[in-house]
Amino acid sequence: MPDNRCSSCGVVMQRKGTAIFKCPACGEGTIGRCTQCRDQSVPYKCEACGFEGP
Amino acid sequence: MEGSENPEEALLIPEDQYLTSGVHIGTQQKSADMKPFIYKIRTDGLYVLDIQKTDDRIRGAGKFLARYEPEQILVVAARQYGQKPAKVFARTIGAKIFAGRFVPGTLTNPDLPMFTEPDIIVVTDPAADQQALKEALNVGIPIIGLCDANNETKFVDFIIPTNNKGRRALAMIYWLLTRQVLKERGTLKDLSGFELAVEDFEATL
Repeated sequence: MPDNRCSSCGVVMQRKGTAIFKCPACGEGTIGRCTQCRDQSVPYKCEACGFEGP
Repeated sequence: MEGSENPEEALLIPEDQYLTSGVHIGTQQKSADMKPFIYKIRTDGLYVLDIQKTDDRIRGAGKFLARYEPEQILVVAARQYGQKPAKVFARTIGAKIFAGRFVPGTLTNPDLPMFTEPDIIVVTDPAADQQALKEALNVGIPIIGLCDANNETKFVDFIIPTNNKGRRALAMIYWLLTRQVLKERGTLKDLSGFELAVEDFEATL
């Protein structure tokens, strides 16, 4: 998945309020979270290690 | 104060130390967001948090924070009992601290003298530190939150389920977090080399 897509819903992230960070568990996978998924606390999953957040 | 460190199932400290500090004690209300972290409901109506998940998340948060430059981490604590533990945590790991009232614009208004641009933020209570949470959201940085059973986890990117109201619980969580961050950075060779005590993190009554 390209870096600018939300890991939960797949939407392309453009607006403010989004966050991109390395997976807290493995540090390899990149997690993207769009504003709406952050607002609704939608779970995300690291593609590299399978870590599930938030 | 030492736990075995290698196996995944083992806790960072013995279970009874977690229990005596009250890290697992939740609230009488639960939020849907925190449901996965709740172990059971006590007969007096208090929700009990899952210690194993708290422990896992402290390990995770240690790894997560260790990847950032110390001065790029911002710790926020508006809650009275959270201020001292947060200050000691921030001082020990070299992070910035905002204890007490969070001045609006700290993360968004470059004209303010206290303006700062961290890469990651740690909030002691997402409900009490709402202003910091909103500003972190606006600037697009990841948020680590200490969440109790009644907290909404909106905008939080990494939840540490814990009692975030108790004096000793907050001291214990920040003590564990400090030790874990230093270990992940390689500053501490092993956990027994950590010199601060949990009492050093406790707020005075």
